[in-house]
Amino acid sequence: MAPPTPSSHRPRKKRKNPTAPGSNNSLIVDFGDGKQSPAFPLVSFLWAARAGVSQWLILPLTLMAVGLFRWAVSLWGYSGFNVPPMHGDFEAQRHWMEITAHLPVAKWYLYDLQYWGLDYPPLTAYHSWLCGKIGSAFDPAWFALDKSRGIEGPDLKVYMRATVLISEYFVYVPAVVNFLRRYTRMHGVHAWSASIALVAILLQPATILIDHGHFQYNTVMLGLMVASLDAILAGRMLWACIFFVGALGFKQMALYYAPVMFAYLLGVCVFPRIRILRLLNIALITLAAFAVLFAPLLYGATTMEARELFATSAEPPLLQSLPISLDKKSVAYALLFQTTQTIHRVFPFARGLFEDKVANAWCAVHTFYKLNRFEASLLQRASLGATLASIIVPCAIIFRHPRASLLLPALSCVSWGFFLFSFQVHEKSVLLPLLPMTLTLAGDGGLSKQNRAWIGWANILGSWTMYPLLKREELRLPYIVMTLLWAYLMGLPPTSFEIFRSRASPEESPLEPHILSKLLHLAFYLAMIGWHILEAFVPPPAGKPDLWVVLNALIGAAGFGLAYLWCMWNLVVQCREIDLRAAEEGSRKKKQ
Amino acid sequence: MAELYPSLAQCAIVAAAFKKTSEWTLDYPPFFAAFEWLMSQAAALVDPAMLVVKNLGYDSLETVYFQRTTVILTELVLVYALSRFIKSAPLANKQAAHVASLSILLSPGLLIIDHIHFQYNGFMYGILILSLVLARKQLLASGFIFAALLCFKHIYLYLSLAYFVYLLRAYCLDPKFRPLFLNVIKLGVCVVGVFAIAFGPFADQILQLKDRLFPFSRGLCHAYWAPNFWAMYSFADRALIPLAPRLGLPVNRDALSSVTRGLVGDTSFAILPEVTKEQTFLLTFVFQLVPLVKLWLQPDWNTFIGAITLCGYASFLFGWHVHEKAVLLIIIPFSLIALKDRRHFSAFRPLAVAGHVSLFPLLFTPAEFPLKTVYTIFWLILFLFIFDRIAPVPERPRVFLFDRFSSLFLTLSIPVVLYSSLLHHLIFGSQRLQFLPLMVMSSYSALGVVGSWVGFMVVYFTT
Repeated sequence: MAPPTPSSHRPRKKRKNPTAPGSNNSLIVDFGDGKQSPAFPLVSFLWAARAGVSQWLILPLTLMAVGLFRWAVSLWGYSGFNVPPMHGDFEAQRHWMEITAHLPVAKWYLYDLQYWGLDYPPLTAYHSWLCGKIGSAFDPAWFALDKSRGIEGPDLKVYMRATVLISEYFVYVPAVVNFLRRYTRMHGVHAWSASIALVAILLQPATILIDHGHFQYNTVMLGLMVASLDAILAGRMLWACIFFVGALGFKQMALYYAPVMFAYLLGVCVFPRIRILRLLNIALITLAAFAVLFAPLLYGATTMEARELFATSAEPPLLQSLPISLDKKSVAYALLFQTTQTIHRVFPFARGLFEDKVANAWCAVHTFYKLNRFEASLLQRASLGATLASIIVPCAIIFRHPRASLLLPALSCVSWGFFLFSFQVHEKSVLLPLLPMTLTLAGDGGLSKQNRAWIGWANILGSWTMYPLLKREELRLPYIVMTLLWAYLMGLPPTSFEIFRSRASPEESPLEPHILSKLLHLAFYLAMIGWHILEAFVPPPAGKPDLWVVLNALIGAAGFGLAYLWCMWNLVVQCREIDLRAAEEGSRKKKQ
Repeated sequence: MAELYPSLAQCAIVAAAFKKTSEWTLDYPPFFAAFEWLMSQAAALVDPAMLVVKNLGYDSLETVYFQRTTVILTELVLVYALSRFIKSAPLANKQAAHVASLSILLSPGLLIIDHIHFQYNGFMYGILILSLVLARKQLLASGFIFAALLCFKHIYLYLSLAYFVYLLRAYCLDPKFRPLFLNVIKLGVCVVGVFAIAFGPFADQILQLKDRLFPFSRGLCHAYWAPNFWAMYSFADRALIPLAPRLGLPVNRDALSSVTRGLVGDTSFAILPEVTKEQTFLLTFVFQLVPLVKLWLQPDWNTFIGAITLCGYASFLFGWHVHEKAVLLIIIPFSLIALKDRRHFSAFRPLAVAGHVSLFPLLFTPAEFPLKTVYTIFWLILFLFIFDRIAPVPERPRVFLFDRFSSLFLTLSIPVVLYSSLLHHLIFGSQRLQFLPLMVMSSYSALGVVGSWVGFMVVYFTT
């Protein structure tokens, strides 16, 4: 018979105890009987990897598992599937591949703007060009100029989905892995809890559903942003600028992050002492990065045909407002035209305050007090004022205390401010505040009950507010699976109510969620479940067909406001802690 | 959706058809038909349109949801059987039993065949495992359940010899070979009763039933050449064609023009002699008898599972018209004892790789490609690593050179799989030599299965 299990293969237990103070100290729960158990399901999935398992095994397995979920979601419908004549985001992206692959650079931002004209910054255009070129090698019909409009087919779908997945695995995934490695080392967090945080971050339901379900390339922009943060942690400010310009150059939405990045980079040049050289370097490298970003576009604008094309095209509004007049055939005019036309396409100032039903402050106010009675310019100014007011405090803090560890809370706070108060917000923009907020899972105490409760709740709420959008695109089942999976893995309602149970007295574990936040969360979870029941079984009253969607947006806006406040509170607390520690060290030095 | 899931709509039709129109469109035994009938009752509640027989190719999203849900729910039988297996394992082997159970539950074979391709194997193998687990102590119940399983799906007839020998030796005879008449009667009543209930209602159509259940008009090899001995035989035949003139061998001209290219039908060989049904039966029977001799002499549970596995091997390797799905018949019983020690494990390793990889051709759309490959690789890395960590050191020395074969096979499988699933299409396009990757893949997998069979034979007889 088989001999008893050998002890030689059992992982050594005492090596680097993950429950040691200074790490995420609530992954392992002791229920009093001396037996250790995982605190939430995600921990139990990685339980065997506690010690003695190489990252070379855990990382590939993690990436494969999360990749499988992504691909499984991508088998479902996408934005605009079978909805002629305009289709949706899928067709828009495909159309950009079509025009960039076939047309000269000069026409990219001019060609038939009525049908999904390119309205993303240059890096998206270059990315589309690459995808279009590669795709044409597989099947030229997918991207045939003009003839391919509205084309749909299983092979094209696979190709397009693959471009999203591959772009993500080339940009977002390595960026997040590297960032987490550095960030957890900085916080002295055990590698095991870093692996757990990595799985959680890569399984954010909203990001997967939007990119692989709805169809977009947000993760490329988010990945460049994370790469920029990684560079900051590594102390390479210039690389941080380059990556951030890349993020901005991929999607203008990265502007949500810009105030914090600006305040931080300015802060490191001013505090603790003024460093002019560094400031100059940062300014120069940023300008250079923008120049490189626009270089291919501008180079394409200097050709003879391009100049003739621009001379005959309508002037972009931005160019009209410039107080200079140039010869329409000159190179300078062509360069200026190309730049202003791109900017005009990328920032559509002419649209309304908000689109559709978005869970932000304006839409919420509009429900009770119609905002369209005011002039658009007044609303724009109000929106600008409110946004500035909401971001001024975090920006000031990060400027005065330019510390890498404060970046994540500041970023989440500012991007929540933008989401809630700025102009022209889309429900998909919620991915931006969710990213830095979710990244804090990897920090010290990041997987504690309190953090997990708040971050998990925000992510669930985020994907819940996108339900009306996802439902239209036949993504109901992926929505249910991915959101419940996240809730289950993080040990949150509706799959587990463990988070509301207090295991220890507050003195023993200061990271238990406060009773007030427990109540708030409970109310939101109940509201979300109740809303789903309403939406599924009760038809909205006649005359108000959008009632449920509006209700969704209202609840969402309230929750996001709460998330904003929580991030702000976190930022202030962490900042004070740093101050206190610095003061302590200062006094100790004096004594010596 | 329609082209992704061909067998789904078929299945709905079968369920519907069974209700009235024609009783035997089904090529499964009666219990499975009854099971389908139950499903159709439930389906009527979900979406009555699903069951209108005229609706050929009807596959509303509701149908898909419904059918897939039934697969998931019936798989709970497997979960139950595995939990029984863990409970029945001796204390020292609990952890190993746990890992083995998880490996079966998460098996890429079940995912590919049941949840993507669509079948009810999880349910069937659940019943088989339950019967195997009961064979530890409750032999009568084990035999009873196995008889019922045969009435669900007759592929398990391949394992019936091992059951026969084991029950006869361990239940009907006492250690000194004296018959225990009471047990004989109990077992006989059970088995005969089950078959009577199953086939009784169809007594007048029994011949028609036989033809439907055992369609011998099909060829030696199934569409994609299941990785068995005959795949290697066919490969050798193809490989000999260019050499034949030089060696002075006679060439069968008919066979040259009708290269099977993986089509169902009669395989004809150009150089090597034809194979008849009788020959395949004889080979299968002989290779099943060999391990049964040991089971007869040493009727304990571990030997029984080993014998079941070897019966599975013999029928998979030498059977007539074997489908690649049948490889589960080996993998699943083997998983139960693969963790016994490192010798068992090293015989299991090539089987795990070859068996799962050979299932790839079942899913052929580009959208499914990443799912099947990534999931299989994930499973292989995870479980081969864990198995390697917890398989205990054997009492006897390992088989000389066999580990080398195992490692070599694993290493070489990476370029082979890469070539046949990706590179070939890039080099030759999808039209030219399209049968080549399938042939390479199944011959290579066959090598792994045969190698692991030989290895396990040695382990079985020397333990």
